[in-house]
Amino acid sequence: MTQTLAETGVVERTYVDCIRQALQQLLRDDDRVVVFGEDVGAFGGAFKATLGLQEEFGRDRVFDTPIAESAIIGSAIGMATQGLRPIIEMQFLDFMNTALHQLINNAATIHFRTGNAVPITVRAPCGGGFGGGPFHSEELETIFCHMPGLKVVYPAFPCDARGLLVSAVEDPNPVVYLENKYLYRHVKECLADNFEPVPIGVARVCRRGSDATIITYGAMVHESLAAADVLAAEERQIMVVDLRTLKPYDHDTILAAVAATNRVLVVHEAWRCCGFGAEIAAGIAERGFHLLDAPIMRVAAPDVPIPFAPSLESVYRPSAGTIVEALRELIEY
Amino acid sequence: MPVCPSSSLDLNQIPRNQWLAIYRTMCRARFTEQRMIRLYHQAKIFGGVYTGFGHEAIGAGTAHAGGDNDLFTPCIRDLTVHLARGLSVLDVFRQFLARATGPTRGRDGNVHYGRLDQGVYAMISHLGAMISVAVGGVMARRRQGLDAVAMAYVGDGATSTGDFHEAVNYASVFDVPLLVVIENNQFAYSTPNSQQYRCKHLIDRAPGYGIEGVQVDGNDAVAVHLKVREIVGEMRQTPRPVLLECDTLRIRGHGEHDDAGYIPEALKAEYAARDPLDNMRRSLTDAEIATARELDTIDSECQQEIDEGYQQALAEPMPDPATLLEGVYAE
Ligand SMILES: Cc1ncc(C[n+]2csc(CCOP(=O)(O)OP(=O)(O)O)c2C)c(N)n1
Repeated sequence: MTQTLAETGVVERTYVDCIRQALQQLLRDDDRVVVFGEDVGAFGGAFKATLGLQEEFGRDRVFDTPIAESAIIGSAIGMATQGLRPIIEMQFLDFMNTALHQLINNAATIHFRTGNAVPITVRAPCGGGFGGGPFHSEELETIFCHMPGLKVVYPAFPCDARGLLVSAVEDPNPVVYLENKYLYRHVKECLADNFEPVPIGVARVCRRGSDATIITYGAMVHESLAAADVLAAEERQIMVVDLRTLKPYDHDTILAAVAATNRVLVVHEAWRCCGFGAEIAAGIAERGFHLLDAPIMRVAAPDVPIPFAPSLESVYRPSAGTIVEALRELIEY
Repeated sequence: MPVCPSSSLDLNQIPRNQWLAIYRTMCRARFTEQRMIRLYHQAKIFGGVYTGFGHEAIGAGTAHAGGDNDLFTPCIRDLTVHLARGLSVLDVFRQFLARATGPTRGRDGNVHYGRLDQGVYAMISHLGAMISVAVGGVMARRRQGLDAVAMAYVGDGATSTGDFHEAVNYASVFDVPLLVVIENNQFAYSTPNSQQYRCKHLIDRAPGYGIEGVQVDGNDAVAVHLKVREIVGEMRQTPRPVLLECDTLRIRGHGEHDDAGYIPEALKAEYAARDPLDNMRRSLTDAEIATARELDTIDSECQQEIDEGYQQALAEPMPDPATLLEGVYAE
């Protein structure tokens, strides 16, 4: 058994391994691809997602920038409109705020205004759960999803991390690729060397069930699966849908999942007020109201800045425990 | 053998107590951070630990030149500034240990604190963001009739941000008495200065802003302090911003998770031989401001304060989860 696995190149890969693998493949296969950002060169990035890439592909294609997020995105726009395929690493999503202007005012509107494509991919490590405090834990997908002209993907598994990264880079539009820091080394899958791109805009049902559906993404997919395990022990079968792409999101898979259980819980790590769950809930209410046996419920972070103290962060961040509680309430409704 | 850097400066221009206060601040910072590093490696601290090892002369030398009405926006290497402005070591431990009693009540971590009643703003992580805050703060204080100045601290890397440029230009246009303290430690995380900027010195930019730039040895607290006293004195008379570039080296990693393998060993050794605490001891003893024994006494007083501060903070509670939603809005 192990031998056959070894022959197909199947090895255990972490989420961050898969990001690196996709970057490497993209750099190899497409000489238009360049990778840049703060400390991504010889150092390999704050999370080592680009380790070894500068050595393999040279400083022309993988390079460090000054600390200048706005210029990083602005220059990527220039490159993308002249035929390159820039992949940017924002050291932390939180620091992208200083470059929002270039992303949302410039990159996102160019095609609409001028008909010119802007194929840039912005990788942004996000999420908390490790004591990062208010400025190293943010989840800002809502901001990007709000802006016409941007696409937003957010893998939860290693296989999707590599498959979506390839699709993001091949897409002719600016794509925000959110990668969850907690997942980097916490989730592993046994995967072959070869892989297919994962299409943008297609959700995945990770677990089938009949009693309730969880619509989620990112690190919360794993908390949701753990919650579903708990309820399975009580004979309750929970469907878990991993959106994978937040914009454009997969209405059809969501509706089919709602139709199968008639009860929906939306879960995300980001803040509740105007969080992406509000869009999902509204979409279900608009198109699937007749399918519902209970109000749509949400589990999300409370509307406070991300607290540092473990005693606070552990109650701040949604977890399998809070999801289980919500599911019980939903099923009993 | 490294020469004593301050040998040509006259320490007797200012009271002896001031020098001892500066030395004490440097020791308190260094020893507190040594303890922090130990706790980090023992996994007794939540989150990361970023220290100002090798930067003590800059923060202590500058902040001790400030007066009661002055404002400060220190960054991650500037524990000295907080301590010089009156923060207790106990409060520092409370902050790092996420205690409810600490300056951010456990809401924010490690270096992200600051007490406005001490004239110190709590930084956000985003580099360059605090400079314009210092500018506005001091504009308001002057409007209130106070002859305040502000000191804003940034690293070499932070000078590449748009925020840095906007704030310095803005301060220049409004003749704001702002000392921009650039702690040029030659690296921004792993990125060397050659990948960060191409002027020879960062103060070469000063004429572009229409302001003055001054360079000083960042490992020499005496040189930093005397220079800043002079600049600040002039600034109070004739308000205007000044760029102060303090040359040093970040002799540890960016944070304790980083072994700084990208910094050449020879460079580390060169700066280790110019350690700001050793320099300061030598300056004080050479000038007969203090004896080695007197300085040793300060060292052990600092160590004791740190032991006590740590023990007390440890005994205090973390925030009650029931208070999670509190404090988002002012009442
Ligand atoms: C706007 C912004 N971008 C990126 C970061 C991530 N980051 C934190 S510290 C750092 C390096 C800072 O270098 P420098 O300003 O030279 O200060 P030093 O750490 O050397 O004292 C980086 C890139 C940040 N905090 N803010």
